[in-house]
Amino acid sequence: MTLTIHWRLDPAAEPPRSERALQPQLPDRVRDRRVPTQNRFDYYLQVADAAAQTAFDGLFIRHRLESDESRIIAAIVARAVRGIKVVPEFPASVGSAVYAAKQATTFQRSTGGRLGWAITPDADARSRAREADMVGPEDLARRLDEFLTVARGVHEQRPFTFKGEHFEVLNGGFDAPLNRVSFPQVFLQGEDDAALRLSARHADVHFFAPATVEQLAERIARLDALAAAEGRKVAVGLIQPLLVRDDGEDAQRDAVGLPDITLVASYDEAATALAERHAIGVSHLLLEATPMLEEAYRVGQHLLPRLRALTGAARRAA
Amino acid sequence: MFIDFYWRLPTHGCHNSLQTSGYERGDWSPLAPGNVAPGLDRDGEADGFAYIDHLSAIARAAESVGFQGGLIPSFPNTDDPWVISPLLARETKSFRFMIAFQPGFGNPVHSARAAASLQRATGGRLLFNIITGGGGPAQLWWGDSFAHDDRYGRTSEWLDVFRGVWSSSDFSYDGRFYQLNHGGRPSVFQGEEFPEIWFSGSSDAALQTAARHADYYLSWLEPFDQLGAKFASVKERTAALGGEQKCAVRVDLVARATEEEAWADIRKGFENVSEETRQRWRGQATDSVGAARQAALRPTDAQRYDELIVAPNLWGGFNLLRGGPALGIVGSYEQCAARLDDLIARGADAFILAGTPHLEEAYRVGEEVLPLLGRQAPALLAAAE
Repeated sequence: MTLTIHWRLDPAAEPPRSERALQPQLPDRVRDRRVPTQNRFDYYLQVADAAAQTAFDGLFIRHRLESDESRIIAAIVARAVRGIKVVPEFPASVGSAVYAAKQATTFQRSTGGRLGWAITPDADARSRAREADMVGPEDLARRLDEFLTVARGVHEQRPFTFKGEHFEVLNGGFDAPLNRVSFPQVFLQGEDDAALRLSARHADVHFFAPATVEQLAERIARLDALAAAEGRKVAVGLIQPLLVRDDGEDAQRDAVGLPDITLVASYDEAATALAERHAIGVSHLLLEATPMLEEAYRVGQHLLPRLRALTGAARRAA
Repeated sequence: MFIDFYWRLPTHGCHNSLQTSGYERGDWSPLAPGNVAPGLDRDGEADGFAYIDHLSAIARAAESVGFQGGLIPSFPNTDDPWVISPLLARETKSFRFMIAFQPGFGNPVHSARAAASLQRATGGRLLFNIITGGGGPAQLWWGDSFAHDDRYGRTSEWLDVFRGVWSSSDFSYDGRFYQLNHGGRPSVFQGEEFPEIWFSGSSDAALQTAARHADYYLSWLEPFDQLGAKFASVKERTAALGGEQKCAVRVDLVARATEEEAWADIRKGFENVSEETRQRWRGQATDSVGAARQAALRPTDAQRYDELIVAPNLWGGFNLLRGGPALGIVGSYEQCAARLDDLIARGADAFILAGTPHLEEAYRVGEEVLPLLGRQAPALLAAAE
């Protein structure tokens, strides 16, 4: 079982980076020749390049209401940075499932099939009302289920007809050449049974939050059982914020104020901890840390080689 | 008065010329030697180029000769303008991306965030061609079950919300189709220019929505008197509704050094049209008023190309040669420029031009026709007054 490792871009993190309006004026003595075409997207590309050059497999792009839209960033990143998989995160409230699926075909056709979709959990009622999303809380799981059913349906079948509560299609489905690319790999997440049931039906990869090896093993068993009941297999992922340093004590010292799900460890300790999770079935890691560029280099250059050495050895032994 | 010129990005592949029915650029026809983006390498395998690489070439050609940007159409079997625009954002310099979009397909708040992000990424080079017409089975293909006039109501509300969250940091709305509470613009988007709105649609419902929301009223080419009357009516009716409309024409050109060369290309193209193509265009069903106006031309029944010459330099068979409207302009560079001047005199404030193949014709029209514009406009304007 190969271990696939993704880095996570948060468009709302480190707001002043490449954002002229948020940067302090340089002193008068410093001649400033920057031009207006330099913008925030330069930083997104720096992070993407960092992830690609330090041998991450993919870049996830967080869904942030207060910042640039993830699928726009994804297209810009994918065009400029080769080789890396690009996975925008977005909720099922974005609009038409047919339209989202159609947009995915252009993305796939233009990038050699490097798109994934990470559907984010729906926000609370107040946030959804700010987003003109008036679907009631009892209907959200159903909407997501229909969204993914329709999106995959029009991609893979023609004619495709569907009449649900949130989406309706009559004699739909894509023609050649749009249908020659593959449907984006679908990433879902969540700890509760409702989330696991959705993943059992729709996900290629289900992400869990950080947990002990024992807790994860339990959740994986539950996911496997639900997926088996649907006649499917779902790969397992782990979303892991981290802070790693050469020396574990340095890591502890730098970790002040981070949430306690953060993996704070030396490179060797972190590699061991993640390899243990790989051994019980985790095949996708989504790693995140700020500052995103510097930490991508640190994790990519120091942690990933150790982790791949451990998990590669495990694979050969198996 | 400035006139704005746009080109078109062909989002359904492109032909080498009007005389071929296959798509030699892109992958809408089976790949054969000589195909481009993708092409075949020496081993007969796809060469790794994608159609987006050809669209990039067209966009860069268009911006280099003075087109402001290009219309990026959206149909069931085309590539998508919301994806094409960010893909090409950083390899173009001044090209403005005119996204053709049916508002019902995206949540308006999410769409506003995506649009504002594109403005930030491109330095304000985004604009919209808002589409509401079409309908019937085609609309259900897209998963949209609204009736025709309901769709205009929804478009209008969608634009209310889109504009509301763009302009205000605390915006609420209680409409028939959309409701939101305390939404609004995040601070990072403050100051981004609101995208120009180009509107199409010939029905009463369309004009009411245009008066409220649109900057430009976009029409296919129609016989000049008819189009001039339509522009006058649009400007008058939207003014009565409290709006102000500029008018724009979307038109294909066959511009050649001489008129004879231009018509020879048309004749060869016409003679290559298959019976299958005619049948396909006969069978088109739609509840769009604009499409019905064009269908009344009946080019599918013509036996000779010159039966379709409806006025000097005006040919009504383009939809036999490629997808899109029937009427287009055919002539020498000078004649094409004169016809465009004529349209300016009849109220056109902007143009979306196109020619096949789109890459080479962007250079030709940009280099040979655009420089001739304006020579006849003053005289024509004087004559009109």
